[in-house]
Amino acid sequence: MNEFLEFAAVVMGIFISFCMYTTLYGKPNPLRSWAEFSYLGAGTGVSVVIGLTYIWNTAILGMQAGDWILIFSILFGLMMLFRVHPTYGYISRLPLAFTVGTGLALSLRTQIFTAFIRQINATIVKLWTNVPLEFVYRVTIAVSVITILTFFLYTMELSGPLFWTSRVGEYLMYIGFGAIFAQTFMGRLGLFVGYMESLTTPTWKTPYTLASALICLIAAILFDRTGLGEKLSAG
Amino acid sequence: MADEGGIYKRMATYDKRWVYVALFIVVLGPLINPIGMPIGISAQTRHYKAELDTLQEGDIVFSTWNMEFSGYMELKPGVLATHKMFIEKGVKLCIAFGHFEGVALPPEIFKQLKKWTDDYDYTEGEDYIIIGYVFPNEAAVAALAGDFHANVRVDWRGESIEGTFLDEIQNGGDFAMISDYTTGLATTNIIRHIVLEYDTPMVVNSIGVSVPGHLANLDAGLITALLASTRGGAELEFLIGSPGPGLKSMDAFTFGHYSLIIFIIIGNIGHYGWTRRSGARDRTGIR
Repeated sequence: MNEFLEFAAVVMGIFISFCMYTTLYGKPNPLRSWAEFSYLGAGTGVSVVIGLTYIWNTAILGMQAGDWILIFSILFGLMMLFRVHPTYGYISRLPLAFTVGTGLALSLRTQIFTAFIRQINATIVKLWTNVPLEFVYRVTIAVSVITILTFFLYTMELSGPLFWTSRVGEYLMYIGFGAIFAQTFMGRLGLFVGYMESLTTPTWKTPYTLASALICLIAAILFDRTGLGEKLSAG
Repeated sequence: MADEGGIYKRMATYDKRWVYVALFIVVLGPLINPIGMPIGISAQTRHYKAELDTLQEGDIVFSTWNMEFSGYMELKPGVLATHKMFIEKGVKLCIAFGHFEGVALPPEIFKQLKKWTDDYDYTEGEDYIIIGYVFPNEAAVAALAGDFHANVRVDWRGESIEGTFLDEIQNGGDFAMISDYTTGLATTNIIRHIVLEYDTPMVVNSIGVSVPGHLANLDAGLITALLASTRGGAELEFLIGSPGPGLKSMDAFTFGHYSLIIFIIIGNIGHYGWTRRSGARDRTGIR
């Protein structure tokens, strides 16, 4: 029985994935709506359960262990729920302000080091090393930082040497954008390939994957051609 | 009516859905029938493995799964290869999630690691403990880093963690290493509140989109090693001699990249050729 349930869940998972992929066809259809709302429903359910478990594990168990100050976190959490009330919505501002304040304080205290000082330190290094390739890297970084910074000088007219360094900086940025785009494509393809790999491994899944892909593609075309897609899909 | 744009127009304005069809074919084809194209091993991955090799039996590693289920699909090869190394070395693992979808991951991951957990008698509670979803925000990370046991009392099944190897952990500095698998989420918070505060070494397996950002962290010494996306995972699989989903995916990856290059070339030739016939473009009204 368990094995059958597992098998049914996998096959349903494969089919629902391809229903979601029908969004690529570019026209509304009920299969996509069904998949989308199923995901939203399941996702919301899971997040509520996990959220409540987190509150139990940290706040309630903490209070049971004698950490009574955690009662404030429960109270603040309950006050936050007033946000949806038309008259008493203002009550939620206090915990909201507290959350924003603590978050900002925590973040600012350390961000100055991770995003600023340590990054600058890493840029200011001696250029020459015994490894020629390392030397090339360091010079590239130094030249890129200096020339790109001159591109962002807004308070003066960029003329003479500054004009040329800013132009070099501009083109170096284009190279950087290209590298980032390639990295992004690799990442997105990685998500897709990874998922397709899981839909074809073990090999018994492959026929179900191909069948689901074909059924969903044909269904998307039919829904579009008959005009039913617009009528039957939600949103 | 004659086709005014000709081949150039077709190249510049073809239906983009053909790109999706082509991608499905070039990805699914090699996955169903792998070719086994050769891959190169980057210095970055060798360095990542060398960092993991510094771990000793009994060291406690904080394995932070800052990924959703979708992100896991890209990081799977790195996650599995790294955890195989941990199990072989006899490292103790404290596993935490940074996203609520994380609860779906342990059954999936440990099912694939079953051969290793069986061979090395690696058991939950004794060798690894899953503390569950504990990183909802930055305040939670900071609190856990400062006083571990005040913030984590039970594992993800609700069992007390008292009397386990986690008794040795008082704060973030007591971990021998942090091994992070990330799509973003709590990773920067961990860097700020554990690495910066306690100087705990941290290795990161990141999705491709976030790699440029983590390279800056690697350069600044905030993280000690970086494993980049599925490709890094495949390289690590090769280095540890344990082929898995990463190496299997590399053919599809390569063909996917080739197809992008081809589409860029086709689009640019079409655009250049058709732009020159601007009169035709004005008449057709297609931009």
